Amino acid sequence: MNYETVIGIEIHCELKTKTKMFSSAPVSVNSQPNTCVNEIDLGHPGTLPSLNKEAVRLSVMACHALNCEIDPLIKFDRKNYYYSDLPKGFQITQQFHPIGRNGYIDIPTDNGIKHIRINRLHMEEDTAKQYHSGDETWIDFNRAGTPLVEIVSEADIRSAHEAMIYVEKLRNILVYLGVTDGKMEEGSLRCDINISLREVGTEEFGVKTEIKNLNSISNIEKAIQAEVIRQTELLESNQPIEQATRRYDDVQKTTILMRKKEGSVDYKYFPEPNITPVLMDPVWLKSIIDNLPELPDHREKRYMDAGLNAYDAGQLIQNKALSDFFDELIKETSYVKLAANWCLSDILANFSTKQLHEKAYSLKIKEMGNMINALGKQEISSKQAKDIFVELLKGHDYHATVKALNIEQVSDQSVLVQMVEDILNENEQSIIDYHNGKDRALGFLMGQIMKKSKGQANPVITNQLLLEGLMKRKP
Amino acid sequence: MDIKTLIQSTSVEKRVSDAVNKAHAVQDKLNAMVSFIEPSEQLKTLESKSKDCPFYGVPIVLKDLVNMKDTRTTGSSGILDNYISPYDATITKKLKDAGAIIIGKSSCDTFGMGGTNMTAWTGPVANPYDLSRMSGGSSGGSAVLVATGVVPMAIGTDTGDSIRKPASFNHIVGFKPTYGRISRYGVIPYASSLDHVGVFTGNVKDAALSLEVLAGRDDHDMTSSYLPVEKYSDLCIGDLKGKRIGIIQNVIDSIHNPETLNQFKELCQKLESRGAVISSIRLNEDLMHAFLPTYYIIANAEATANHSNLDSLRFGVLKEGQTMDESMILSRTAGFGKLLKKRFVIGSYALFTENQEEVFRKAQKVRRLIVEDVKRVLDNVDVIMAPASGQGAPKFDDASADQLSKEYLIAENYMALANFSGYPSITVPMGMVDGLPVGVNLTAYAHHDAKLLDIAYGIEKTTGIFNVIKEVTQ
Repeated sequence: MNYETVIGIEIHCELKTKTKMFSSAPVSVNSQPNTCVNEIDLGHPGTLPSLNKEAVRLSVMACHALNCEIDPLIKFDRKNYYYSDLPKGFQITQQFHPIGRNGYIDIPTDNGIKHIRINRLHMEEDTAKQYHSGDETWIDFNRAGTPLVEIVSEADIRSAHEAMIYVEKLRNILVYLGVTDGKMEEGSLRCDINISLREVGTEEFGVKTEIKNLNSISNIEKAIQAEVIRQTELLESNQPIEQATRRYDDVQKTTILMRKKEGSVDYKYFPEPNITPVLMDPVWLKSIIDNLPELPDHREKRYMDAGLNAYDAGQLIQNKALSDFFDELIKETSYVKLAANWCLSDILANFSTKQLHEKAYSLKIKEMGNMINALGKQEISSKQAKDIFVELLKGHDYHATVKALNIEQVSDQSVLVQMVEDILNENEQSIIDYHNGKDRALGFLMGQIMKKSKGQANPVITNQLLLEGLMKRKP
Repeated sequence: MDIKTLIQSTSVEKRVSDAVNKAHAVQDKLNAMVSFIEPSEQLKTLESKSKDCPFYGVPIVLKDLVNMKDTRTTGSSGILDNYISPYDATITKKLKDAGAIIIGKSSCDTFGMGGTNMTAWTGPVANPYDLSRMSGGSSGGSAVLVATGVVPMAIGTDTGDSIRKPASFNHIVGFKPTYGRISRYGVIPYASSLDHVGVFTGNVKDAALSLEVLAGRDDHDMTSSYLPVEKYSDLCIGDLKGKRIGIIQNVIDSIHNPETLNQFKELCQKLESRGAVISSIRLNEDLMHAFLPTYYIIANAEATANHSNLDSLRFGVLKEGQTMDESMILSRTAGFGKLLKKRFVIGSYALFTENQEEVFRKAQKVRRLIVEDVKRVLDNVDVIMAPASGQGAPKFDDASADQLSKEYLIAENYMALANFSGYPSITVPMGMVDGLPVGVNLTAYAHHDAKLLDIAYGIEKTTGIFNVIKEVTQ
C-alpha cells in the first residue's frame, strides 16, 4: 500500500533577552547552575510575574517575519501541572490569545515553492533543566523562566526532507532577526515533530506519534525517515500505532518510546490574573516592524541581483555570520563573485562561525577588499593573493604587505616589451611549437616571463605583448 | 492614641518595648501572633532615618502572609512552618522606609482562606471582647492586636472581607483600598484577582496615613496602579454636608438582629442631621444570592493554582517519599488542613476542562454582572453603606456560622462586592450590639479612596468611636 506522510512541527525557541520572561534575573549563557535565579524563578510564595517588554518586541518581530496576524492585546494564561522542573506548579503561557496567528513560510521543494502554514506563535516561559544520574535528579533553575516562543505549524509537511527544510528556513529567519541564537545542539531551539501516515488519497489523519529531543537539523530528517519506516511496517503488518512520545536514537538509527499518551493531562488553563492585559502601542508596534532586519530571502535575492549564482547565494545566507561578513566585504569591492569565493573558502577555513559572529579576528575587511580589487584587476595573481592573505589575517594592511613581500606589479610597457623579447630570443623552439598549434607553448613562455620577473609582471599586459611578439615572428 | 500623637508623646524605645511586652502579655489569651520579631536590628537602622518619617519608630504587625527578609513567614500553614523569607515584600520595604518597626507576624486563616481564623496552623484567635468568641478572619491576629492596643496599625489582607469583617468584630477601623493601589508583591496570595492588602487602625486618619505610605505603582506587580498617591490624611475633613450615602436595602432586609438594625437606623439619622443625603439603594437580589458561590469558584480556582508552588522541593516542610512525585504528595497531604484541601478540590473541579465553561467561566460572567450592578448603584451616590455584620462575633462552636441561610448569604457575605469590583471599602465601628462590637461598612467607586476615607472620617466623628482599646490582661 502507498502511504502519505503527514507532519506538523512545534518549535520552542529561546529568545535572546538579557533577563527572563517574568523576572529580572539574567538569562543564563552557560552560567554555573542555579546562579541565574531569583525568588520569582524559584516560585517563592508571594512572588508575581512582570512581563519582559523586550521578549514581546522579539516575538512581534518573529510574528511579522513569519507572516502572522499580530494580536495587539497581550494576554497570558496558566497551564497547570505538577512537575519538579516547574517551580510554580504552573507555566505562564498564551493558550487563549497567542500573539501571532495564521502565518506561513514558503519553502523550496523539488516540486517548487511550498506554502507551510503556521497555526500560532505564542510566548511562554521555559522550565528548569533536570539532569538524571542514577537514581538522583539534579535541577538547574537557570533555565526556569527563560523567555520562549512556541511556533506551531499546520500538518502541511509531507516528507522528512520538507520537515528539515522547514526547520532550517524557520531557524534561519529567527537567527537573522536576532530573536534567538537558534542552537539546536544547546537546546535554544527545540523541535517536537508530529508524524502520522495515511493511505494516499484519504483525508483522515492516522494515529500520530511525537518525536522530541532532536539536537540537529540533520537528525530531524533521519528521525522522520526512521519513524516513517517504523510506522509503515506496523501498518503493513496490521498492527496498531500507539499515540506516544518517542525520541530518536542516533546509534540504533530508530525512534525509541519515551512515554505513552494515555488519558492526556488536563492542564486546566485559565487566564493569568497577575498579568493585566497589555495593549501594544500601535506606534511602538509599527516601529518594530519598520526596523526589522533584512531577512534571508531578501538577502538571497539581493546577492543574486548582484551577480552571484543561486548556489553561492544560498551557501552564503545559510551562515548569517559569514553573510554579514560578506556584506561588509562588498562595501569595499565590486568584485562580488570573487568576494563570495573567498568568503566560502578562505574565510570559512580560517574563522569559526562564533569568531565571525563576535568579529574576533584581526583581519581588516577594508584591506581584504583592496586585495580582492587588485586580484579582480589582475594586478596580482591568485598565488600572490594567497600569500598576501596570510599577512592580512595577522591584521596587516594590503599595501604594506605587497611592499614587504616585494610583490610590485611591473606594468611599465617598455620594461615588459624588453622582457618578452628576451624570452622569445631564448626560446626559438617554443615559437615554432606555438605556430604549429601547440597551445602549451604559450603557457610555457608566460611562465618563463613570470619566472624572470619574479612573478611581478602584470599578467594581462604581458600576455598581450607576448601574443603580439609571437605574431611578429610568425615563420 | 493615633499614630502622630504616639510619635510625639513617647520615645521610640518606649513605644516599641511597650508593644513587644503587650504582644507577649496578650498572647496566652488571644493567640494572635505566629512569630515575634526581635526589633533591635530595625531600631539600629532607624537611627539613620529622619524623625519626620510617617511611621518613625512606630511598632506594627504584619499578617503572616507578608514576606520580610530573613524572618519566618508561614502563611499560618503547616507546609511553610519552617519557611524563612529570602526577600522583602514591597510593602515591607515601604514600611521599613517609613520608619515602622515590625514586631511580629500575626495569625490568620491559612493563606487567608477563611473567615473565622480557626484554620490557622497555630490555632484559633480569640476575640478580646469575649474570649469564647472568634476574632473573625482571615486577618484575625492583626485585628485583635490593634483592638487590644498592642500596635496602632497592623497589615491585613482582604479577599472576601478578611479585613473588614474582623474590624467589625473588634471595634476598630479596617480598610482595603482600590485594587492595584497597594502592591501585592511579596504577599502570599489567596486569590490574585480578589486579593487586596489593607490595614487595621484605631481611627480613620491613621488608615489614611497608612495608605500614603503603602500605596504606589510597583513594577513588581503588574496590576498596581500608575495613579499618583494622594495625601489621604490631609483630605480627611469629615464634613458630611451633601455627601450622598446609599443604604444597601437588601442587606438591611436580611438582618434579623433588631439591635443592629436599630443602631444602624440611629446612625443614619445622625448622618442625615449632619447634612448627609441618605437614600436607599437595592442591588439585584439574585446576583446577591450568587455572591458566595461565585466567590468560592473564582477564589478557589485561583488559589489551587497559586499554591501549586508549595511542593516542598525547594522550600517548606518536606515529607520525603520514594520519588519526587511521592514527596510532593506526602508533603502537601501533611502540610494542608482539611478546609484548605476542600477549597483546592473545589477550585480544581471548577477548572477541569469539562466543567470550565459551566462553572469557572460562568462565575467570571456572574462576577462581571455583579460589578456592573455595584457600579450602577454607585452612579448616583458617593458611597454605599450597610452594617458590616448582622451581629457581633460568633462563638467558636457556633455551627450556624456556616449555614446557607438568607442572612448568611447576604448580610454576612455582601462585602465581597468590593473584592469582585476592586472598589475601596472600609469598616468603621458603629456600636455595641449585645455587648459585642459591630461595625458599619462603606464602599466607593474605584480610586475614590480619598472620598471614601473622608466620609468614613465624618462617620467616625459622628459616632465618636475611635482609638478604643480593649484590655484583656487585668
